[in-house]
Amino acid sequence: MWRLYLRDVFYTLGVAAAGAALTFALAIPVCGWLRARAFGPVEFLLKVPLFVPFVVVGHALRVFLSPWAPGLAGSWTGIAVALAWKHLGLAALLLLGAFRAVDESHLEAARNVGAGTARLTKDVLVPMSAPSLAVSAVLIFSSMLASFSIPLMMGRGGGAQMLMIDVYYRFGQHGDFETAAALGVVGYLMAMGAALVYLRRLTPPLQRRSLR
Amino acid sequence: MTRLIARAAALAVAAFVVLGPLASLAVWSLAERWTAPSPWPQRFGLKYWNRMLTADFLEPLRLGVVIALVVTAAALVLAIPLGYALARLPFPGRALVLLAFLMPQAFPQLPVFASATREFYRWGLAGTVTGVVLVHLVGALVFAVWTMAAVFRALAPELEEAAWNLGASTTRTFVSIALPLATPGVVASAVLVFLYSLDEFTGTLLVGAPFVTTLPVYMYTASQGYELQIASVTALVLMLPGAVLLLALERFLKSEYLVFFGQL
Repeated sequence: MWRLYLRDVFYTLGVAAAGAALTFALAIPVCGWLRARAFGPVEFLLKVPLFVPFVVVGHALRVFLSPWAPGLAGSWTGIAVALAWKHLGLAALLLLGAFRAVDESHLEAARNVGAGTARLTKDVLVPMSAPSLAVSAVLIFSSMLASFSIPLMMGRGGGAQMLMIDVYYRFGQHGDFETAAALGVVGYLMAMGAALVYLRRLTPPLQRRSLR
Repeated sequence: MTRLIARAAALAVAAFVVLGPLASLAVWSLAERWTAPSPWPQRFGLKYWNRMLTADFLEPLRLGVVIALVVTAAALVLAIPLGYALARLPFPGRALVLLAFLMPQAFPQLPVFASATREFYRWGLAGTVTGVVLVHLVGALVFAVWTMAAVFRALAPELEEAAWNLGASTTRTFVSIALPLATPGVVASAVLVFLYSLDEFTGTLLVGAPFVTTLPVYMYTASQGYELQIASVTALVLMLPGAVLLLALERFLKSEYLVFFGQL
């Protein structure tokens, strides 16, 4: 069992890591630019993926990629690209929130000594919002680990699979609930580290304002 | 001038990256013939859009809307009092309830749905509409409770304190002070839950198979049968409510709710 699925565990971790890296590689410069000079239309476009359901994203990227790059859609790159596309909206929302919480005076100080938008992002915005960035990264990474609809819609080639696809086929196709459940627990364990950080950061503000 | 060019370039790149995949859905939905090496369909037409008018498509749409309405009503009835309690009242096990509602956000859903399906087989709920409603409620309650708690927390507590000082009970304060003030939040929460249920795929696929088909499941089946055009038409229809919401409500939706759309 371990021998069968160990490869898929690493595949899942790899795809999620690549997807999360791609999301942030796109979102950080764009959000830094948007923080330095607000530009409504681009900000609006970035929010669009939030409103597109996962299943639709999987199918949309499959038909988007397949005519021009056959074979890419079902590969690990295609899945990572689709996951990054879907999470771009969430990342933009979280990053813009974090970047806008950085006080304007810090940006002015950096500009006065000659920093451009790139330097501003790299040396002021990112370090100053590092805790929120870490939480966003964890959130997005664990969501990618658990992704099911996108890899399912992108098509199942041979070779390694995302872990949730394994769970689905074990359970749905083979009726093998025990193995599916074991794989599910492996998925939980992978998300566990991520969840701990998430909970620790999110619960305190919720407990602050009770009345009596 | 360079600033103008930079903006135009940024807009063009963002439009391609974000709208490209969505536009290709539209192209596919109109492609009557598109064979492999051609980068563009050979014949366009409305053939597949006309298929929308057949029972094949309308039945999953109708069923999905009915399920979403039931799920929304049930979720709100449960989430409004629970959200209020979480926001305002200290009760034993409060942190535990909070944790229970946060867990599904952080953990993979699929294994939970697989276990639910197995139990539902035992109770005769697998493959029924009731089963699908129940499985949608798992996710819907997370959305609803979380947004309702946020809505009630955002109200100024002074108004409720005043009611208490004048001798109103907790229930009375909730019904005549907090609830009317929270109405916009309740509406937002209802819209969220309705959309969640309409777009829900994983739970419906597992629990509903093979008898309950909503639009996302219909789309999956179509794409598995390489009916990419049918799947594209369905995808565009599924995107419609979200698109309307984005255009109409973008500036009114707080980012606290928006984050939840990331989970759809």
